[in-house]
Amino acid sequence: MKVPVRWLRELVDTDLSTREIAQRMTLAGLEAESITQIGAEWERVYVGSVRQVERHPDADRLVLATVEAGEHALTVVTGAPNIAEGQKVALALTGARLVDAYADTLQYKALKASSIRGVRSEGMVCSEKELGLSEEHEGILVLPDDAPVGAPLREYLGDDVIEFEITPNLVHAFSIVGIARELGAILDIPVTLPELADLSALPRRDDVVQVDAPDLCSRYAVAMIEGVQLGASPEWMQRRLTHAGMRPINTMVDISNYVMLEIGQPTHSFDADCVADGHIIVRRSTPGEQIETIDHVTRTVEPDTLMISDREHAIGIAGVMGGLDSEVTEASKRVLFESASFLWKTVRSTSRTLRLPSEAAARFGRGVDPNLAWTALQRMIVLLREIEPQATVTFVGDHYPAPRTSSQVTMPYSELERLLGMQIPLDTAVGILSRLDLQPVVGEGARGTEIVVTVPTWRADITQSADVVEEVARIFGYDALPERLPEGQSVPVTRAPERLVDDVVQDALVAAGLYQAITYSMTSDADLRALSVSGEEIPEVLGGFPAAEVPYVRAVNPLRSDWELMRPTLLPPLLRVVAENLKYNPHVALFETARTYQPQGVDQLPDERRAVAIAMAGVRELPSWYGGDSAELDFFDVRGAVEVLLQRLGGQSATFTAVTHPSLHPGRSAAIVLDDVQIGVIGEVHPSVAERFGITARLAVAEIDLAVFAARLLEPWSAQPIPRHQAVRQDFAFIVKDAVSAADVQAAIAQAAGALGGELVLFDVYTGAGVPEGHRSLAFSLALVAPDRQVNEHEVARIRGRIEANVKKRTGGVLRA
Amino acid sequence: MSNPTSFTDPTPGAGSTADLLAQAQASLAAATTADALEAWHRDVIGRRGMLGEAMRGLGSLPADERRARGQELNALKETLDAAFTAQQDVVRRAALDARLRTEAVDVTLPGRRPLAGSLHPITAITREACEIFAHLGFQTVEGPEVEFARYSFDMLNIPSDHPARDVWDTIFIESDEAEITLRPHTSPMQIRVMEQQDPPVRVVVPGRVYRYEAQDATHEWHFHQLEGLAVDRNITLADLRGTLAEFARQLFGSERKVRFRCDYFPFVEPGVDLSIDCPFCNGRGCRVCKQSGWIELLGAGMVHPNVLRNVGYDPDVYSGWAFGMGLDRLAMLTYNVQDIRAFYANDLRFLRQFSRARL
Repeated sequence: MKVPVRWLRELVDTDLSTREIAQRMTLAGLEAESITQIGAEWERVYVGSVRQVERHPDADRLVLATVEAGEHALTVVTGAPNIAEGQKVALALTGARLVDAYADTLQYKALKASSIRGVRSEGMVCSEKELGLSEEHEGILVLPDDAPVGAPLREYLGDDVIEFEITPNLVHAFSIVGIARELGAILDIPVTLPELADLSALPRRDDVVQVDAPDLCSRYAVAMIEGVQLGASPEWMQRRLTHAGMRPINTMVDISNYVMLEIGQPTHSFDADCVADGHIIVRRSTPGEQIETIDHVTRTVEPDTLMISDREHAIGIAGVMGGLDSEVTEASKRVLFESASFLWKTVRSTSRTLRLPSEAAARFGRGVDPNLAWTALQRMIVLLREIEPQATVTFVGDHYPAPRTSSQVTMPYSELERLLGMQIPLDTAVGILSRLDLQPVVGEGARGTEIVVTVPTWRADITQSADVVEEVARIFGYDALPERLPEGQSVPVTRAPERLVDDVVQDALVAAGLYQAITYSMTSDADLRALSVSGEEIPEVLGGFPAAEVPYVRAVNPLRSDWELMRPTLLPPLLRVVAENLKYNPHVALFETARTYQPQGVDQLPDERRAVAIAMAGVRELPSWYGGDSAELDFFDVRGAVEVLLQRLGGQSATFTAVTHPSLHPGRSAAIVLDDVQIGVIGEVHPSVAERFGITARLAVAEIDLAVFAARLLEPWSAQPIPRHQAVRQDFAFIVKDAVSAADVQAAIAQAAGALGGELVLFDVYTGAGVPEGHRSLAFSLALVAPDRQVNEHEVARIRGRIEANVKKRTGGVLRA
Repeated sequence: MSNPTSFTDPTPGAGSTADLLAQAQASLAAATTADALEAWHRDVIGRRGMLGEAMRGLGSLPADERRARGQELNALKETLDAAFTAQQDVVRRAALDARLRTEAVDVTLPGRRPLAGSLHPITAITREACEIFAHLGFQTVEGPEVEFARYSFDMLNIPSDHPARDVWDTIFIESDEAEITLRPHTSPMQIRVMEQQDPPVRVVVPGRVYRYEAQDATHEWHFHQLEGLAVDRNITLADLRGTLAEFARQLFGSERKVRFRCDYFPFVEPGVDLSIDCPFCNGRGCRVCKQSGWIELLGAGMVHPNVLRNVGYDPDVYSGWAFGMGLDRLAMLTYNVQDIRAFYANDLRFLRQFSRARL
């Protein structure tokens, strides 16, 4: 809410600067979001008086105006159509910085003396636009007659505007009076409340209002006004409205808006002659009901929308917007003025459904005190008598069957110290509560000294003792609050294994030279379809996870269609990141540890399963002076990272088995299997899939379900002593058919080596001379070691024989000569 | 090369040891390579060398001379052995020096470096924050991101249609009966934790949260929060201030000051938000703190009595506080990152910078 500070100071007499006011309010709970200084730019602009207006000797549409402003008196050339002798105007002298009225964007320029058609102009009479007050540039700004000639315009017209954020609990401060009450309480200064009219002598016509939806409308008050002449409201009112961010329209609308800004009650005016029988009915909408609102839009309202109606048709949407038919115009003779209280929920939902946010709806939507409705009438009538003195109020009416009354809340005095951890003297607390109009009464009760407060109806946010504690604390201020650490029994801090798995995975992959990404956890149907080679349907396996049999977790209101599903695999967003990075980086090696969202069925929360995804593309090593492997990163780079990772996770016994995967290269993809359970997948992304994510380079990925590893990391394991005896190294090269996997040969060797078999390394894969077509040579180095003795030559020979036989038997491989 | 034959000439057992010593030392000094040294050793003090010959010649001397001569030769051998060892050191050192000279490199050439890898800055700051709180006695727990509205709102004293719900622009999940949200804050875990245990409670909850919110340099629809909750008898707002001051000082420097101001969150009463004096300008006012000298860090407050009642805690016996801070914002402040969107763009040119550690 924008608060012009001059207006505020009229209610609270304080010497504090605007900045200090903003700070004090902010600390007490009304956050000042910004301070705008209106007139800060007005150097060398003064209130001037137009002494004489003459025709320009050389131009029909220009005049020469002699303007006096204190010690300054000069002649300016102007084309303003509305300038006249005797006016008070804003006179800018050379050097003044003014808004360039002819620029498309907001630009300032310094005023220079110039000659216009041969006549020297030493200054300028300003329009509102040139002063930055509004977009008005048709004519000059004409000031009220009592404007002090010679005064700097900034002193006369300038103001500071503080914009406060009104949190949902602060409807009581959603007005100048409300803000003033807060400031008065903070500064301990009495608040001057605006003058209200005494309506008791006016005729009462409560029967003109009929409320058919009492649950949605607790009060509906009206005033009938005759003899309104819609004109421009006075300058002071227009100024305040403008500074508070509202556009002046005409006297009736301006009074209504002024009352809303001042005391917080939105009101509305109907042309009384357009209200059939002058009878108001507050009711729910009929099915499919339509109304043309004052913005000339015909709207169909939702069922159960609260409508203001006459006997024939709707004349307004309650609290949101009036109907066009009953709009007050210059032709209107009588005005029916509404000041009502609508249930906040109904106004809020209607305003949102129709996308019609407004100052009125913002206030109604937070719950305006129904007692304010009458106050608003009293205030409106004071302003009306001042601004439209010829108008008369012929009657007032009120429908308010169940008035809201004040309530009482008891706060044990000890609660202050129990919750705050500091002592606030009883009389200080009582003083603060008095300043907040809470009428505190101190007594003795079950919990010792108690303070009973009477909560005024505009403070519906105070319902229990903790609320009273806050009232005392926020006005007392939190600066005196000591800094302590919690006392009492400390709680053992244990480490959650699932979280530690994430840490282990992250650290292992960072150490392996990969970079951690954090991508959005949402994806789309389109991106899931893109994971299939055809791109046409969501594949039956998504990354490392089987496709779900129930619908994926889908947002009702995603920000973008790219983010409509909670991702069941980490891959799509990661692939997008890879694609983007390949534009700028020759080597891309990324991973993400995050949750996947495996759906469990409608109305169920998904299984948020932790996973890690790895993606690599580009050159293996960057070019360097010492060489650098410029080959493309491939399957084995990712596999290496995965092996390191599995070793860290105690999963080094995992096996890699060739597999057909809907997103992966048919010859370069494997299932990762641990203890007979598939925990993930690794492979190069099928080029058709990669291309769909904007990647033409070779791209290798892996995705692993991390759920199994927490338990595994908790298993105890023992370090093995270093063998006391030297290992005997034996090398073997077997020629096997291409179809035989290295893993099978390795397994055959390990099996035959038996208990003495130690480290077994595949150190060469060879095809070419000496190896038949369709075959390859796999060379292994095996360490043979016994815990208690040196392995002797006989044992070595026996084992070599066994290995040769076993490899032959299991894989058909023959020892290479 | 010296000419060792000169040593084989003298009559066995004859010649003064002083002459022999002088001759041997001269030829040793001339032996400046490993080969020459080896030859000298062979020809002078080796078994078949000059000294060996002289030793063997002892037998032909009369007994009385033999003893004296033997002692002389032994002394000579000791001297020459020592001289040999010394010369050997000199020669080896010279050879090593020569090799090292040829191996000189341009040390300004870059090294053969493995890629450093890096943790994402959000991970780094999350770990740092959780570690600080662990030392303060707070357990780190996690909770679901796809969450029932009951936990996201209702149990947190934000009933349906409450205007406060507008503050959390929420993304909802398709469902039939249950109202399901993407949690707009980590606060639902306050409820889940308290439902499952009795006081005392001291936890922090890091995690992803989601808002229906347009993106700009300081707003994301997908970001990270850290929730904190302490509930026990006699937990006070002063404890909250002390705990958060400690946290802020560990993260942003021991000289940091903290300030509370009143703020509103439906699940706390009283509600506050915490600012620290700006670590970039020490509170004097700069661009980062928008000249205010203060930087808002988080929202917090005393757990609302209605929330305590909702989980079956008696608000007259127990009190507690909770806070929720944006980890992205924390990372932005810690690393002076200007645009929150950089965290989710994952540009390697950005990520690589976080290879650098921070204490």
